[in-house]
Amino acid sequence: MTLAVLDGGTYYHHETINGERYRHLFDRVMYVRELTPESLAGVSVLIVPDRINANLLRQHAAMLIDFVQAGHTLIVLGENEAETWVPGVKWSPRPTNFWWWLEKDAQPTQQLVRPEHDLFRHVPFQDTIWHFHGVLTVPRGADALIVVPPDPEGRDGGGALLYDDRVTTRGRLIVSTLDPFYHHGSNFMPATTRFLDGFLVWARDTANGANAKLDSPRRSIERLTEPSN
Amino acid sequence: MKRALFLMYGQPEGGMTNVDRQLGNTGLVDFADLYELDALALPDYAAVFVSMHVDQRYLATHADMIDRYLRQGGTVVANGHIAYPFLRDLTAFTPLRDYNVDDLRVKRQTPHPVWDGVAELELTFRRGVAGFYGRGGHQPPAGATVVHTIGARGLTVDFAYPVGRGRVLFHGGNDLWQFGNAKDTTARIVPQLFEWIYAKG
Repeated sequence: MTLAVLDGGTYYHHETINGERYRHLFDRVMYVRELTPESLAGVSVLIVPDRINANLLRQHAAMLIDFVQAGHTLIVLGENEAETWVPGVKWSPRPTNFWWWLEKDAQPTQQLVRPEHDLFRHVPFQDTIWHFHGVLTVPRGADALIVVPPDPEGRDGGGALLYDDRVTTRGRLIVSTLDPFYHHGSNFMPATTRFLDGFLVWARDTANGANAKLDSPRRSIERLTEPSN
Repeated sequence: MKRALFLMYGQPEGGMTNVDRQLGNTGLVDFADLYELDALALPDYAAVFVSMHVDQRYLATHADMIDRYLRQGGTVVANGHIAYPFLRDLTAFTPLRDYNVDDLRVKRQTPHPVWDGVAELELTFRRGVAGFYGRGGHQPPAGATVVHTIGARGLTVDFAYPVGRGRVLFHGGNDLWQFGNAKDTTARIVPQLFEWIYAKG
């Protein structure tokens, strides 16, 4: 079983993927301009890091959707305009508050919805907390993992920063707004490094089939999911 | 008057409207997709802006084209950390490890028109937080003018150097045009960048 990662060719993708800290975790690295169906053969989990050129991702969309429809896992991180090419993704941008932690009595608004999810055996919840660029609407039947309340200025009704979707496709979509490859690869924001320390090990274990399947019943937070028709 | 060229990279923050606003809506900037570089006549441009977000792996396959443009008198303003050598004379970024706030203090080594009147303290700190400006350094090429270093270790963040009849201005951190929205002395950077580009004889 193979964990693969797309490389967007930026300095921060290069540093995060090829730096000493994580290189051993990836079985295969694929430069986004050279992605082909053949290059995905044998891959069980594919990570699309944050901040890959979205024009290229849209060009590759059919290939990536075929990959997940074959029963594989596609992880799509933030700032990839996922709402334009990933099935089921709905996105509402927010002005980014990089400074929330400097505000008086600052408390993060993120909430951990599924502490029993196997990801959180590897990633402490506090290591998922940094600024965010918008929120995702969770497809009905998918599992919201981390959510935030409605935008105080009314831009959205709240949503997820990370969800696990096993219903929209025949495979599994992990979708997040977070952008750790950029920040870790820029030698900035230690929380993003701590996040990747656990997240990439979880992704590798998922590729190896080592993570237990969710055994609790699926549930969703109704106010955060699409209304039923 | 020749125009400047901004190489776009297909990310939300790299949208033409957003970057043009950061660059001051001068009307002097053309926006073109990085991957259309082969179709562009670089000598038609007074300067080429290279963001920290570009696909350097691709750009490095055009290092000869960029080098020719520079030697013929062009100006490249590049940002970020070098991972792939798209500029002939630059080598890889050296990250600062285990740093503290003093390691991040920006020190001006040589005055430069782009940073004229810009306070070092306001480069070092944004809302009291250090580290936005530079978190490591590059080895400046021979003949470079070192503008800013950080910390006691003196890692080079900003430098300029000639290439033939042209020149490179390199900022080893987040894109300089992010200061286009600033409210302090760093707001001088973007307009002074254009003055520097077009003051060239």
